[in-house]
Amino acid sequence: MKRFGLVLLPAGLALVIGILWQQGWLPNPIIYTRTDAGSLIFLLGLAISLMWAAGRAIWSLAWNRCELGLAQLGEEQVALRRRFIRRLDHELKNRLTAIRAALINLPQDSNSRVVGEMRTEVDRLAVLSTDLRKLVDLETRPIEQEVVDLAALLTELIGMAQQRPEASSRHLELTLPRVPWPLPPVAGDRDLLFLALHNLIDNSLKFCRPGDMIEIRTFEDGPFITVEVADTGPGVHPEDLPHLGEELFRGRITQEVEGGGLGLALVQTIVQRHAGTMRIRSRLGQGTVVAVRFPAARQGHA
Amino acid sequence: MVEEQTPCRILLVDDQPIIASNLAPYLERSGFIVTVAADGEAALRAIEDASPDLIVLDVLMPRLDGREVLRRLRKSGNWTPVILLTQVGDPTERAGALDEGADDYLNKPFEPYELLARIRAVIRRSRSGKPLAACRRLRCGPLELDRLTRRAALRGKEVTLTAKALSVLEYLMLHPNEVCTRERLLDAVWGWDYPAATRAVDVRIAELRRALNDDTDSPRFLETLIGQGYSFIGRVEAVS
Repeated sequence: MKRFGLVLLPAGLALVIGILWQQGWLPNPIIYTRTDAGSLIFLLGLAISLMWAAGRAIWSLAWNRCELGLAQLGEEQVALRRRFIRRLDHELKNRLTAIRAALINLPQDSNSRVVGEMRTEVDRLAVLSTDLRKLVDLETRPIEQEVVDLAALLTELIGMAQQRPEASSRHLELTLPRVPWPLPPVAGDRDLLFLALHNLIDNSLKFCRPGDMIEIRTFEDGPFITVEVADTGPGVHPEDLPHLGEELFRGRITQEVEGGGLGLALVQTIVQRHAGTMRIRSRLGQGTVVAVRFPAARQGHA
Repeated sequence: MVEEQTPCRILLVDDQPIIASNLAPYLERSGFIVTVAADGEAALRAIEDASPDLIVLDVLMPRLDGREVLRRLRKSGNWTPVILLTQVGDPTERAGALDEGADDYLNKPFEPYELLARIRAVIRRSRSGKPLAACRRLRCGPLELDRLTRRAALRGKEVTLTAKALSVLEYLMLHPNEVCTRERLLDAVWGWDYPAATRAVDVRIAELRRALNDDTDSPRFLETLIGQGYSFIGRVEAVS
Protein backbone atom coordinates (compact mmCIF):
# COMPACT_ATOMS: atom_id res chain seq x y z
CA MET A 1 0.00 0.00 0.00
CA LYS A 2 2.80 2.39 0.87
CA ARG A 3 4.26 1.99 -2.57
CA PHE A 4 1.17 3.47 -4.18
CA GLY A 5 2.32 6.83 -2.80
CA LEU A 6 5.36 6.70 -5.05
CA VAL A 7 3.18 7.32 -8.07
CA LEU A 8 2.43 10.78 -6.74
CA LEU A 9 6.05 11.55 -5.82
CA PRO A 10 7.06 13.46 -9.01
CA ALA A 11 3.87 15.50 -9.00
CA GLY A 12 4.26 16.27 -5.31
CA LEU A 13 7.87 17.37 -5.75
CA ALA A 14 6.94 19.67 -8.63
CA LEU A 15 4.18 21.22 -6.54
CA VAL A 16 6.49 21.86 -3.56
CA ILE A 17 9.26 23.41 -5.69
CA GLY A 18 6.68 25.47 -7.59
CA ILE A 19 5.23 26.92 -4.37
CA LEU A 20 8.73 27.63 -2.98
CA TRP A 21 9.60 29.55 -6.13
CA GLN A 22 6.28 31.36 -6.33
CA GLN A 23 6.52 32.53 -2.73
CA GLY A 24 10.07 33.72 -3.34
CA TRP A 25 11.47 31.46 -0.58
CA LEU A 26 13.93 30.12 -3.12
CA PRO A 27 15.73 32.20 -5.73
CA ASN A 28 13.45 32.05 -8.71
CA PRO A 29 15.55 32.73 -11.80
CA ILE A 30 13.75 33.80 -14.94
CA ILE A 31 14.47 31.62 -17.95
CA TYR A 32 14.13 33.29 -21.31
CA THR A 33 13.57 30.81 -24.03
CA ARG A 34 12.47 30.74 -27.58
CA THR A 35 11.18 27.54 -29.02
CA ASP A 36 9.04 26.27 -31.80
CA ALA A 37 5.70 24.63 -31.20
CA GLY A 38 6.98 21.24 -32.47
CA SER A 39 9.78 20.98 -29.86
CA LEU A 40 7.48 22.15 -27.07
CA ILE A 41 4.86 19.53 -27.87
CA PHE A 42 7.61 16.92 -28.24
CA LEU A 43 9.08 17.73 -24.81
CA LEU A 44 5.66 17.78 -23.21
CA GLY A 45 4.81 14.44 -24.76
CA LEU A 46 8.10 12.97 -23.59
CA ALA A 47 7.55 14.18 -20.02
CA ILE A 48 4.02 12.79 -19.89
CA SER A 49 5.14 9.45 -21.34
CA LEU A 50 7.94 9.17 -18.78
CA MET A 51 5.58 9.91 -15.91
CA TRP A 52 3.07 7.44 -17.23
CA ALA A 53 5.71 4.73 -17.58
CA ALA A 54 7.09 5.38 -14.11
CA GLY A 55 3.60 5.37 -12.63
CA ARG A 56 2.76 2.17 -14.44
CA ALA A 57 5.93 0.47 -13.20
CA ILE A 58 5.33 1.48 -9.61
CA TRP A 59 1.68 0.49 -9.87
CA SER A 60 2.48 -2.97 -11.06
CA LEU A 61 5.06 -3.39 -8.31
CA ALA A 62 2.59 -2.30 -5.71
CA TRP A 63 -0.05 -4.66 -7.04
CA ASN A 64 -0.49 -7.42 -4.56
CA ARG A 65 1.17 -9.97 -6.70
CA CYS A 66 3.21 -12.59 -5.18
CA GLU A 67 4.78 -15.73 -6.44
CA LEU A 68 4.63 -18.30 -3.76
CA GLY A 69 7.46 -20.63 -3.48
CA LEU A 70 9.62 -22.51 -1.12
CA ALA A 71 12.23 -21.49 -3.65
CA GLN A 72 12.40 -18.25 -1.69
CA LEU A 73 13.92 -20.22 1.14
CA GLY A 74 17.35 -21.74 0.88
CA GLU A 75 17.58 -25.42 0.11
CA GLU A 76 18.98 -26.09 3.55
CA GLN A 77 16.05 -24.40 5.24
CA VAL A 78 13.63 -26.41 3.15
CA ALA A 79 15.38 -29.64 4.08
CA LEU A 80 15.34 -28.63 7.72
CA ARG A 81 11.66 -27.87 7.58
CA ARG A 82 10.89 -31.18 5.91
CA ARG A 83 12.88 -33.09 8.52
CA PHE A 84 11.03 -31.29 11.26
CA ILE A 85 7.66 -32.09 9.72
CA ARG A 86 8.62 -35.72 9.28
CA ARG A 87 9.55 -36.03 12.95
CA LEU A 88 6.49 -34.17 14.09
CA ASP A 89 4.35 -36.41 11.93
CA HIS A 90 6.00 -39.51 13.37
CA GLU A 91 5.37 -38.37 16.93
CA LEU A 92 1.80 -37.37 16.18
CA LYS A 93 1.01 -40.71 14.62
CA ASN A 94 2.19 -42.78 17.54
CA ARG A 95 0.33 -40.62 20.05
CA LEU A 96 -2.83 -40.74 17.98
CA THR A 97 -2.68 -44.50 17.60
CA ALA A 98 -2.28 -44.74 21.37
CA ILE A 99 -5.20 -42.41 22.08
CA ARG A 100 -7.45 -44.29 19.69
CA ALA A 101 -6.48 -47.58 21.25
CA ALA A 102 -7.13 -46.16 24.72
CA LEU A 103 -10.51 -44.72 23.74
CA ILE A 104 -11.77 -48.07 22.56
CA ASN A 105 -11.09 -49.57 25.98
CA LEU A 106 -13.28 -47.08 27.81
CA PRO A 107 -16.13 -48.74 29.71
CA GLN A 108 -19.43 -48.62 27.86
CA ASP A 109 -21.07 -46.37 30.46
CA SER A 110 -18.49 -43.57 30.14
CA ASN A 111 -19.80 -40.11 29.48
CA SER A 112 -20.66 -40.55 25.83
CA ARG A 113 -20.79 -36.87 24.96
CA VAL A 114 -17.27 -36.24 26.21
CA VAL A 115 -15.96 -39.39 24.54
CA GLY A 116 -17.67 -38.39 21.32
CA GLU A 117 -16.01 -35.00 21.41
CA MET A 118 -12.65 -36.54 22.10
CA ARG A 119 -13.07 -38.90 19.19
CA THR A 120 -13.94 -36.00 16.90
CA GLU A 121 -10.83 -34.11 17.95
CA VAL A 122 -8.64 -37.17 17.54
CA ASP A 123 -10.08 -37.63 14.06
CA ARG A 124 -9.23 -34.02 13.25
CA LEU A 125 -5.70 -34.51 14.42
CA ALA A 126 -5.50 -37.68 12.36
CA VAL A 127 -6.51 -35.70 9.28
CA LEU A 128 -3.82 -33.17 10.05
CA SER A 129 -1.28 -35.92 10.47
CA THR A 130 -2.35 -37.46 7.17
CA ASP A 131 -2.00 -34.11 5.46
CA LEU A 132 1.47 -33.67 6.91
CA ARG A 133 2.37 -37.08 5.59
CA LYS A 134 1.03 -36.13 2.18
CA LEU A 135 3.33 -33.14 2.14
CA VAL A 136 6.42 -35.12 3.05
CA ASP A 137 5.37 -37.92 0.75
CA LEU A 138 4.93 -35.55 -2.16
CA GLU A 139 8.46 -34.29 -1.82
CA THR A 140 9.92 -37.69 -2.48
CA ARG A 141 7.43 -39.85 -4.32
CA PRO A 142 8.13 -40.37 -8.00
CA ILE A 143 5.67 -38.42 -10.12
CA GLU A 144 3.92 -40.39 -12.78
CA GLN A 145 4.12 -39.04 -16.28
CA GLU A 146 0.87 -39.96 -17.88
CA VAL A 147 -1.00 -37.67 -20.26
CA VAL A 148 -3.61 -35.78 -18.28
CA ASP A 149 -6.47 -33.89 -19.89
CA LEU A 150 -6.91 -30.90 -17.58
CA ALA A 151 -10.11 -29.88 -19.35
CA ALA A 152 -11.75 -33.21 -18.47
CA LEU A 153 -10.40 -33.00 -14.94
CA LEU A 154 -11.81 -29.52 -14.45
CA THR A 155 -15.17 -30.48 -15.91
CA GLU A 156 -15.34 -33.30 -13.39
CA LEU A 157 -14.30 -31.00 -10.56
CA ILE A 158 -16.91 -28.40 -11.47
CA GLY A 159 -19.54 -31.11 -11.49
CA MET A 160 -18.45 -32.12 -8.00
CA ALA A 161 -18.32 -28.54 -6.77
CA GLN A 162 -21.79 -27.80 -8.06
CA GLN A 163 -23.21 -30.59 -5.95
CA ARG A 164 -21.98 -28.98 -2.76
CA PRO A 165 -24.62 -27.15 -0.74
CA GLU A 166 -22.73 -23.85 -0.72
CA ALA A 167 -22.43 -23.88 -4.50
CA SER A 168 -26.11 -23.08 -4.97
CA SER A 169 -25.66 -19.53 -3.69
CA ARG A 170 -22.41 -18.88 -5.56
CA HIS A 171 -21.93 -18.45 -9.24
CA LEU A 172 -19.49 -21.00 -10.62
CA GLU A 173 -18.17 -20.84 -14.13
CA LEU A 174 -15.63 -22.80 -16.11
CA THR A 175 -14.12 -21.48 -19.30
CA LEU A 176 -12.31 -23.92 -21.55
CA PRO A 177 -10.78 -23.06 -24.90
CA ARG A 178 -12.31 -24.95 -27.79
CA VAL A 179 -11.30 -22.97 -30.84
CA PRO A 180 -9.18 -23.51 -32.89
CA TRP A 181 -8.03 -26.44 -30.78
CA PRO A 182 -8.86 -27.64 -27.30
CA LEU A 183 -6.62 -27.29 -24.28
CA PRO A 184 -3.50 -29.42 -24.76
CA PRO A 185 -2.83 -32.04 -22.08
CA VAL A 186 -0.12 -31.92 -19.46
CA ALA A 187 2.16 -34.75 -18.36
CA GLY A 188 1.88 -35.79 -14.76
CA ASP A 189 0.03 -37.60 -12.05
CA ARG A 190 -3.69 -37.41 -12.67
CA ASP A 191 -4.66 -37.87 -9.05
CA LEU A 192 -2.24 -35.28 -7.73
CA LEU A 193 -3.33 -32.72 -10.31
CA PHE A 194 -6.90 -33.50 -9.41
CA LEU A 195 -6.12 -32.93 -5.75
CA ALA A 196 -4.35 -29.63 -6.42
CA LEU A 197 -7.17 -28.21 -8.54
CA HIS A 198 -9.73 -29.56 -6.12
CA ASN A 199 -8.05 -27.73 -3.25
CA LEU A 200 -8.01 -24.46 -5.18
CA ILE A 201 -11.71 -24.64 -6.04
CA ASP A 202 -12.49 -25.81 -2.52
CA ASN A 203 -10.66 -22.80 -1.08
CA SER A 204 -12.61 -20.44 -3.27
CA LEU A 205 -15.90 -22.01 -2.28
CA LYS A 206 -14.98 -21.94 1.38
CA PHE A 207 -14.04 -18.30 1.53
CA CYS A 208 -16.66 -16.89 -0.80
CA ARG A 209 -19.93 -15.59 0.59
CA PRO A 210 -23.34 -16.18 -0.94
CA GLY A 211 -23.68 -14.23 -4.17
CA ASP A 212 -19.97 -14.31 -4.96
CA MET A 213 -18.65 -15.37 -8.33
CA ILE A 214 -16.04 -18.00 -8.97
CA GLU A 215 -14.51 -18.23 -12.39
CA ILE A 216 -12.23 -21.03 -13.45
CA ARG A 217 -10.51 -20.30 -16.70
CA THR A 218 -7.83 -22.05 -18.63
CA PHE A 219 -5.68 -20.99 -21.50
CA GLU A 220 -2.73 -22.05 -23.51
CA ASP A 221 0.21 -19.79 -23.08
CA GLY A 222 2.96 -20.77 -25.47
CA PRO A 223 4.43 -24.02 -24.15
CA PHE A 224 2.48 -23.65 -20.91
CA ILE A 225 -1.01 -24.24 -19.69
CA THR A 226 -2.48 -21.87 -17.17
CA VAL A 227 -5.42 -22.57 -14.92
CA GLU A 228 -6.81 -19.64 -13.00
CA VAL A 229 -9.26 -19.88 -10.16
CA ALA A 230 -10.65 -16.40 -9.64
CA ASP A 231 -13.25 -15.30 -7.15
CA THR A 232 -14.95 -12.21 -5.80
CA GLY A 233 -14.32 -13.40 -2.28
CA PRO A 234 -12.95 -11.40 0.62
CA GLY A 235 -9.40 -11.34 -0.73
CA VAL A 236 -6.17 -11.82 1.14
CA HIS A 237 -4.57 -9.30 3.46
CA PRO A 238 -1.40 -8.02 1.75
CA GLU A 239 0.70 -9.02 4.72
CA ASP A 240 -0.66 -12.56 4.61
CA LEU A 241 0.00 -13.01 0.92
CA PRO A 242 3.66 -14.11 1.07
CA HIS A 243 2.84 -16.70 3.73
CA LEU A 244 -0.08 -18.42 2.03
CA GLY A 245 1.87 -21.46 0.90
CA GLU A 246 3.37 -22.09 4.32
CA GLU A 247 2.38 -25.15 6.28
CA LEU A 248 -0.26 -24.46 8.90
CA PHE A 249 -0.43 -20.77 8.07
CA ARG A 250 -3.85 -19.34 8.74
CA GLY A 251 -4.61 -15.91 7.33
CA ARG A 252 -6.55 -13.19 9.10
CA ILE A 253 -9.87 -13.88 7.46
CA THR A 254 -9.52 -17.64 7.61
CA GLN A 255 -10.02 -17.83 11.35
CA GLU A 256 -13.71 -18.59 11.11
CA VAL A 257 -13.36 -20.96 8.17
CA GLU A 258 -12.89 -24.66 8.77
CA GLY A 259 -9.62 -26.00 7.49
CA GLY A 260 -6.28 -27.41 8.41
CA GLY A 261 -3.97 -24.83 6.90
CA LEU A 262 -2.25 -27.32 4.62
CA GLY A 263 -4.40 -27.02 1.50
CA LEU A 264 -2.35 -24.45 -0.35
CA ALA A 265 0.94 -25.92 0.82
CA LEU A 266 -0.14 -29.16 -0.81
CA VAL A 267 -1.15 -27.39 -4.01
CA GLN A 268 2.17 -25.62 -4.09
CA THR A 269 4.16 -28.80 -3.65
CA ILE A 270 2.15 -30.64 -6.29
CA VAL A 271 2.59 -27.77 -8.74
CA GLN A 272 6.30 -27.63 -8.11
CA ARG A 273 6.67 -31.35 -8.57
CA HIS A 274 5.05 -30.90 -11.98
CA ALA A 275 7.58 -28.23 -12.92
CA GLY A 276 4.89 -25.60 -12.64
CA THR A 277 4.46 -22.29 -10.85
CA MET A 278 1.74 -20.83 -8.72
CA ARG A 279 0.91 -17.15 -8.44
CA ILE A 280 -1.62 -15.40 -6.34
CA ARG A 281 -3.00 -11.94 -6.95
CA SER A 282 -5.42 -10.55 -4.48
CA ARG A 283 -7.06 -7.33 -3.44
CA LEU A 284 -8.62 -7.08 -0.04
CA GLY A 285 -12.37 -6.78 -0.38
CA GLN A 286 -12.33 -7.50 -4.10
CA GLY A 287 -11.16 -11.03 -4.59
CA THR A 288 -8.37 -13.39 -5.37
CA VAL A 289 -6.90 -15.01 -8.44
CA VAL A 290 -4.79 -18.10 -8.04
CA ALA A 291 -2.98 -19.03 -11.20
CA VAL A 292 -1.14 -22.29 -11.69
CA ARG A 293 0.92 -22.89 -14.76
CA PHE A 294 2.20 -26.21 -16.05
CA PRO A 295 4.33 -27.08 -19.03
CA ALA A 296 2.14 -28.65 -21.70
CA ALA A 297 2.83 -32.26 -22.57
CA ARG A 298 5.03 -32.55 -25.61
CA GLN A 299 3.30 -33.76 -28.73
CA GLY A 300 3.52 -37.48 -29.08
CA HIS A 301 4.42 -37.78 -25.41
CA ALA A 302 2.86 -40.82 -23.86
CA MET B 1 -18.41 -62.79 14.18
CA VAL B 2 -17.42 -66.33 15.04
CA GLU B 3 -13.74 -67.11 15.14
CA GLU B 4 -12.14 -70.51 14.76
CA GLN B 5 -12.68 -72.98 17.58
CA THR B 6 -9.19 -72.61 18.99
CA PRO B 7 -8.54 -68.97 19.66
CA CYS B 8 -5.92 -67.46 17.43
CA ARG B 9 -2.68 -66.42 19.15
CA ILE B 10 -1.38 -63.02 18.18
CA LEU B 11 2.00 -61.51 18.91
CA LEU B 12 1.79 -57.74 19.11
CA VAL B 13 5.10 -55.94 18.67
CA ASP B 14 5.30 -52.21 19.30
CA ASP B 15 7.90 -50.20 21.16
CA GLN B 16 5.25 -47.83 22.47
CA PRO B 17 3.99 -49.52 25.65
CA ILE B 18 0.81 -47.48 25.68
CA ILE B 19 -0.17 -48.69 22.22
CA ALA B 20 0.50 -52.34 23.00
CA SER B 21 -1.14 -52.21 26.42
CA ASN B 22 -4.31 -50.71 25.00
CA LEU B 23 -4.57 -52.77 21.84
CA ALA B 24 -3.97 -56.06 23.64
CA PRO B 25 -7.12 -56.00 25.82
CA TYR B 26 -9.19 -54.88 22.84
CA LEU B 27 -7.97 -57.78 20.73
CA GLU B 28 -8.49 -60.14 23.64
CA ARG B 29 -12.06 -58.99 24.00
CA SER B 30 -12.42 -59.78 20.31
CA GLY B 31 -11.48 -63.40 20.94
CA PHE B 32 -7.71 -63.58 20.46
CA ILE B 33 -4.93 -64.55 22.80
CA VAL B 34 -2.40 -61.73 22.76
CA THR B 35 1.25 -61.63 23.74
CA VAL B 36 3.20 -58.39 23.64
CA ALA B 37 6.83 -57.70 22.73
CA ALA B 38 8.48 -54.32 22.99
CA ASP B 39 11.21 -54.56 20.37
CA GLY B 40 12.51 -56.63 17.50
CA GLU B 41 14.80 -58.86 19.53
CA ALA B 42 12.09 -59.63 22.06
CA ALA B 43 9.78 -60.36 19.13
CA LEU B 44 12.14 -62.93 17.63
CA ARG B 45 12.50 -64.64 21.02
CA ALA B 46 8.72 -64.67 21.49
CA ILE B 47 8.18 -66.13 18.01
CA GLU B 48 10.64 -68.91 18.76
CA ASP B 49 9.13 -69.67 22.15
CA ALA B 50 5.44 -69.43 21.42
CA SER B 51 5.12 -69.63 17.60
CA PRO B 52 2.08 -67.35 17.33
CA ASP B 53 -0.54 -67.71 14.59
CA LEU B 54 -0.19 -64.10 13.49
CA ILE B 55 2.23 -61.24 14.16
CA VAL B 56 1.36 -57.55 14.25
CA LEU B 57 4.66 -55.81 13.75
CA ASP B 58 5.52 -52.15 14.09
CA VAL B 59 8.10 -51.01 11.55
CA LEU B 60 9.97 -48.29 13.40
CA MET B 61 11.48 -49.69 16.56
CA PRO B 62 14.80 -49.22 18.30
CA ARG B 63 17.53 -51.88 18.00
CA LEU B 64 15.91 -54.25 15.54
CA ASP B 65 13.21 -52.72 13.40
CA GLY B 66 10.13 -54.46 12.08
CA ARG B 67 11.38 -54.97 8.56
CA GLU B 68 14.55 -56.65 9.77
CA VAL B 69 12.51 -58.95 12.01
CA LEU B 70 10.35 -59.85 9.03
CA ARG B 71 13.37 -60.39 6.79
CA ARG B 72 15.01 -62.75 9.28
CA LEU B 73 11.75 -64.58 9.82
CA ARG B 74 11.16 -65.18 6.13
CA LYS B 75 14.78 -66.06 5.54
CA SER B 76 14.51 -68.83 8.10
CA GLY B 77 11.46 -70.17 6.30
CA ASN B 78 8.92 -68.97 8.82
CA TRP B 79 5.75 -67.98 6.97
CA THR B 80 3.63 -66.88 9.94
CA PRO B 81 1.26 -64.19 8.65
CA VAL B 82 2.51 -60.69 9.45
CA ILE B 83 0.68 -57.37 9.47
CA LEU B 84 3.12 -54.47 9.35
CA LEU B 85 2.28 -51.21 11.07
CA THR B 86 3.90 -48.70 8.77
CA GLN B 87 4.74 -45.21 9.82
CA VAL B 88 6.13 -43.28 6.97
CA GLY B 89 3.85 -42.72 4.04
CA ASP B 90 6.73 -43.27 1.71
CA PRO B 91 5.49 -45.46 -1.14
CA THR B 92 8.81 -47.29 -1.32
CA GLU B 93 8.15 -48.44 2.20
CA ARG B 94 4.77 -49.74 1.19
CA ALA B 95 6.16 -51.50 -1.84
CA GLY B 96 8.95 -52.89 0.33
CA ALA B 97 6.45 -54.14 2.86
CA LEU B 98 5.01 -56.44 0.22
CA ASP B 99 8.36 -57.42 -1.22
CA GLU B 100 9.50 -58.76 2.08
CA GLY B 101 6.45 -60.89 2.46
CA ALA B 102 4.20 -59.00 4.83
CA ASP B 103 0.65 -60.27 4.46
CA ASP B 104 -0.87 -56.88 4.96
CA TYR B 105 -0.06 -53.54 6.41
CA LEU B 106 -1.75 -50.66 8.10
CA ASN B 107 -0.76 -47.03 8.26
CA LYS B 108 -0.62 -45.35 11.62
CA PRO B 109 -2.70 -43.76 13.06
CA PHE B 110 -5.34 -46.42 12.57
CA GLU B 111 -8.59 -47.11 14.35
CA PRO B 112 -8.38 -50.30 16.43
CA TYR B 113 -11.32 -51.80 14.53
CA GLU B 114 -9.34 -51.41 11.29
CA LEU B 115 -6.59 -53.55 12.75
CA LEU B 116 -9.16 -56.11 13.86
CA ALA B 117 -10.62 -56.23 10.35
CA ARG B 118 -7.18 -56.79 8.84
CA ILE B 119 -6.31 -59.49 11.33
CA ARG B 120 -9.53 -61.34 10.52
CA ALA B 121 -8.97 -61.00 6.78
CA VAL B 122 -5.39 -62.25 7.01
CA ILE B 123 -6.42 -65.22 9.14
CA ARG B 124 -9.18 -66.07 6.67
CA ARG B 125 -6.83 -66.21 3.73
CA SER B 126 -3.79 -67.60 5.48
CA ARG B 127 -2.78 -71.04 4.35
CA SER B 128 0.17 -73.17 5.07
CA GLY B 129 3.40 -72.43 3.29
CA LYS B 130 4.74 -69.41 1.53
CA PRO B 131 2.18 -66.61 1.24
CA LEU B 132 1.53 -64.99 -2.13
CA ALA B 133 2.89 -61.77 -0.65
CA ALA B 134 6.36 -63.30 -0.52
CA CYS B 135 6.32 -64.42 -4.15
CA ARG B 136 7.79 -62.50 -6.99
CA ARG B 137 5.61 -63.72 -9.83
CA LEU B 138 1.88 -64.32 -9.65
CA ARG B 139 -0.33 -66.02 -12.16
CA CYS B 140 -4.03 -66.34 -12.72
CA GLY B 141 -4.84 -68.26 -15.88
CA PRO B 142 -3.42 -66.31 -18.82
CA LEU B 143 -2.51 -63.32 -16.66
CA GLU B 144 0.96 -63.04 -15.19
CA LEU B 145 2.40 -60.37 -12.95
CA ASP B 146 6.06 -59.86 -12.17
CA ARG B 147 6.15 -57.79 -9.02
CA LEU B 148 9.84 -57.05 -9.18
CA THR B 149 10.12 -55.78 -12.73
CA ARG B 150 6.61 -54.26 -12.47
CA ARG B 151 5.33 -55.96 -15.60
CA ALA B 152 2.08 -57.66 -16.42
CA ALA B 153 1.50 -60.00 -19.32
CA LEU B 154 -1.63 -61.47 -20.82
CA ARG B 155 -1.07 -64.71 -22.75
CA GLY B 156 2.63 -63.94 -22.79
CA LYS B 157 2.08 -60.53 -24.33
CA GLU B 158 3.07 -57.56 -22.24
CA VAL B 159 0.25 -55.26 -21.10
CA THR B 160 0.95 -51.54 -20.89
CA LEU B 161 -0.25 -50.16 -17.57
CA THR B 162 0.37 -47.04 -15.54
CA ALA B 163 2.31 -47.59 -12.36
CA LYS B 164 -0.78 -47.02 -10.27
CA ALA B 165 -2.96 -49.43 -12.20
CA LEU B 166 -0.25 -52.04 -11.83
CA SER B 167 -0.13 -51.53 -8.09
CA VAL B 168 -3.91 -51.87 -7.91
CA LEU B 169 -3.69 -55.12 -9.86
CA GLU B 170 -0.91 -56.32 -7.57
CA TYR B 171 -2.89 -55.59 -4.45
CA LEU B 172 -6.02 -57.26 -5.81
CA MET B 173 -4.09 -60.34 -6.94
CA LEU B 174 -2.47 -60.66 -3.53
CA HIS B 175 -5.92 -60.63 -1.95
CA PRO B 176 -7.89 -62.86 -4.30
CA ASN B 177 -11.58 -63.43 -3.66
CA GLU B 178 -11.56 -60.82 -0.97
CA VAL B 179 -13.67 -57.69 -0.99
CA CYS B 180 -11.27 -54.77 -1.32
CA THR B 181 -13.04 -51.53 -0.56
CA ARG B 182 -11.96 -48.44 -2.42
CA GLU B 183 -10.74 -46.98 0.85
CA ARG B 184 -8.48 -49.92 1.40
CA LEU B 185 -7.09 -49.76 -2.10
CA LEU B 186 -6.44 -46.08 -1.63
CA ASP B 187 -4.66 -46.67 1.62
CA ALA B 188 -2.56 -49.42 0.10
CA VAL B 189 -1.76 -48.04 -3.34
CA TRP B 190 -2.08 -44.29 -3.07
CA GLY B 191 -1.04 -44.15 0.54
CA TRP B 192 -3.54 -41.50 1.41
CA ASP B 193 -7.04 -40.46 0.72
CA TYR B 194 -8.04 -38.06 -1.99
CA PRO B 195 -11.10 -35.96 -2.54
CA ALA B 196 -13.39 -37.93 -4.80
CA ALA B 197 -11.16 -40.84 -4.01
CA THR B 198 -13.68 -43.27 -5.36
CA ARG B 199 -13.17 -41.86 -8.81
CA ALA B 200 -9.40 -42.21 -8.55
CA VAL B 201 -9.82 -45.94 -7.90
CA ASP B 202 -12.51 -46.36 -10.53
CA VAL B 203 -10.33 -44.72 -13.16
CA ARG B 204 -7.58 -47.28 -12.53
CA ILE B 205 -9.99 -50.21 -12.48
CA ALA B 206 -11.38 -49.02 -15.82
CA GLU B 207 -7.82 -48.83 -17.15
CA LEU B 208 -7.14 -52.38 -15.95
CA ARG B 209 -10.33 -53.69 -17.49
CA ARG B 210 -9.46 -52.10 -20.81
CA ALA B 211 -5.92 -53.42 -20.74
CA LEU B 212 -6.92 -56.91 -19.63
CA ASN B 213 -9.92 -57.07 -21.95
CA ASP B 214 -12.12 -57.82 -18.99
CA ASP B 215 -15.85 -57.60 -19.48
CA THR B 216 -17.79 -55.84 -16.71
CA ASP B 217 -20.77 -58.13 -17.09
CA SER B 218 -18.91 -61.41 -17.13
CA PRO B 219 -15.53 -60.63 -15.65
CA ARG B 220 -12.65 -63.06 -15.65
CA PHE B 221 -10.49 -61.06 -13.27
CA LEU B 222 -12.04 -57.98 -11.76
CA GLU B 223 -15.45 -58.07 -10.22
CA THR B 224 -17.32 -55.01 -9.02
CA LEU B 225 -19.24 -55.53 -5.81
CA ILE B 226 -21.75 -52.73 -5.90
CA GLY B 227 -21.62 -50.62 -2.79
CA GLN B 228 -18.61 -52.52 -1.48
CA GLY B 229 -15.60 -52.38 -3.72
CA TYR B 230 -13.69 -54.71 -5.99
CA SER B 231 -12.55 -58.25 -5.87
CA PHE B 232 -10.09 -60.27 -7.88
CA ILE B 233 -11.82 -63.46 -8.88
CA GLY B 234 -10.00 -66.53 -9.97
CA ARG B 235 -7.25 -68.63 -8.45
CA VAL B 236 -3.97 -66.85 -8.03
CA GLU B 237 -0.88 -68.99 -7.77
CA ALA B 238 2.78 -68.30 -7.40
CA VAL B 239 5.08 -68.93 -10.34
CA SER B 240 8.39 -70.34 -9.31
